Amino acid sequence: MSEREEEEEGVFHKKLKVKMKEKGKEGRIAFLKDYLDYLLRNDKTLPPDFPTFAREIMGLDERGGFIHIRVWHEKSELVEFSKAMGYGHKIDHYD
Amino acid sequence: MTDFFVGEALIGEEPEIAHIDLIVGKKNGSVGIDFANSIAQPRMGHTPILGVIRPNIPAKPSTLIVPKVTIRSLEDAEKIFGPAQSAVAKAVADAVEEGIIPKEQAEEFVVIVSVFIHPRGKEYQRIYRYNYAATKLALRRAMENFPTIDKVLEEKDKAIHGMIGFRINNLKKPPYLEVALDIPDWRRVEGIIRTLPRSDAIIIEAGTPLIKRYGVEVVQKIHQLRPESVVIADLKTLDTGNLEARIAGDATADVVGFSGLAPIKTMEKFIEECKKIGALSLMDTLNVLDPVEILTKLKIKPDILELHRAIDVEHEEYAWGNIPEIRKLCGNALIAVAGGIRVKNVDAALKAGADIIVVGRAITAAKDIAGAARAFLQKMGVEEVDQFRVMTDF
Repeated sequence: MSEREEEEEGVFHKKLKVKMKEKGKEGRIAFLKDYLDYLLRNDKTLPPDFPTFAREIMGLDERGGFIHIRVWHEKSELVEFSKAMGYGHKIDHYD
Repeated sequence: MTDFFVGEALIGEEPEIAHIDLIVGKKNGSVGIDFANSIAQPRMGHTPILGVIRPNIPAKPSTLIVPKVTIRSLEDAEKIFGPAQSAVAKAVADAVEEGIIPKEQAEEFVVIVSVFIHPRGKEYQRIYRYNYAATKLALRRAMENFPTIDKVLEEKDKAIHGMIGFRINNLKKPPYLEVALDIPDWRRVEGIIRTLPRSDAIIIEAGTPLIKRYGVEVVQKIHQLRPESVVIADLKTLDTGNLEARIAGDATADVVGFSGLAPIKTMEKFIEECKKIGALSLMDTLNVLDPVEILTKLKIKPDILELHRAIDVEHEEYAWGNIPEIRKLCGNALIAVAGGIRVKNVDAALKAGADIIVVGRAITAAKDIAGAARAFLQKMGVEEVDQFRVMTDF
């Protein structure tokens, strides 16, 4: 994505669909551990919403092995994390 | 005459990049004493060596090369004793030939050169050429007393340090656009920050609801996304002024806001603490009936005064209060104006004397956030720092 395109993108929330590596509760815990691992290893400050994010992830429905997370930018930290840690993912706009 | 001259230069590309710090002075002065002490008392890993044109031909003025990075292997040592040593010596000799160092003072002067060689630097050609160029440039700068203090004062607010990648913006070039992030949803805030245009004129305000939701550490996360941006922690402090200012400073806030409704003592302690931690203090006058009266009582004035638009005012130039009167009291303080500002009344706000235009939902809730922010910047006539400067002199 060019810098120009990136700047022009509107801030509307999107669905980040992430495929869990394991099913159920264990998959969510592994996902959160991976996220924390990614942040710490890359010297990134923890997102301020991490406690509520963890609660949200544990409570999301699993749809065909995917969980749907609301993000507000195509390059949000969660998208970068999904790419870097090899999580299957796609981004859909909300209807 | 000055006892010694100091020069510095950075040349080349990593990992062979050359960074030279040097001093030039007389043998019978302080540099001469340092030269003799250094050569007589070598330190492990930082052994000083004489600069030589080739073995048995030392440079003149006599030159001592001191490695900055600890030499841990024969490979590291070879880079210093080989390309760096000959490059520095050649540069010193050429500086004499070119008149940078007066030839008649070649015996009188000594040079101490601190040389940086990155352990990962491999290319001898690059090490030689970069160190030659950096040494000669540093010598010229030293002998010309570059930079002048005026140049330093001019550059200090523009400069981006190569190793840090951003500059500390002390808000010396108004007007600024302050984007108030009051939305207590981090992922949405992240999206807004990533979408805002990158401009030195944009200040990001971590609004009170955002801070109440996540804590003042949210400032650090904003800085991670936008290291170059000034971030305001809008604490609206009413009590324990020094403590709250310190907490926000520790979280990397550049500006910390307190309420003009706080006790005078609290405000003064807050402002003093901000000065200690190197942050700017901002007084928010929301619900303050007479900001001038409060400012008169304060022994120490805030760096920024945020005025809120009164709803029932006939003349727009006084919509935010008597700015000229406030300026008289606060000297160099910046005046921020807030409350229902749209692109169409930016002119009125600037004409009234505003330095900072505070905008919230007109940007953060816009369908095109970047476009909305640009519209404000354009109306404010903002130019980027150094947008039109071509770096030709250094």
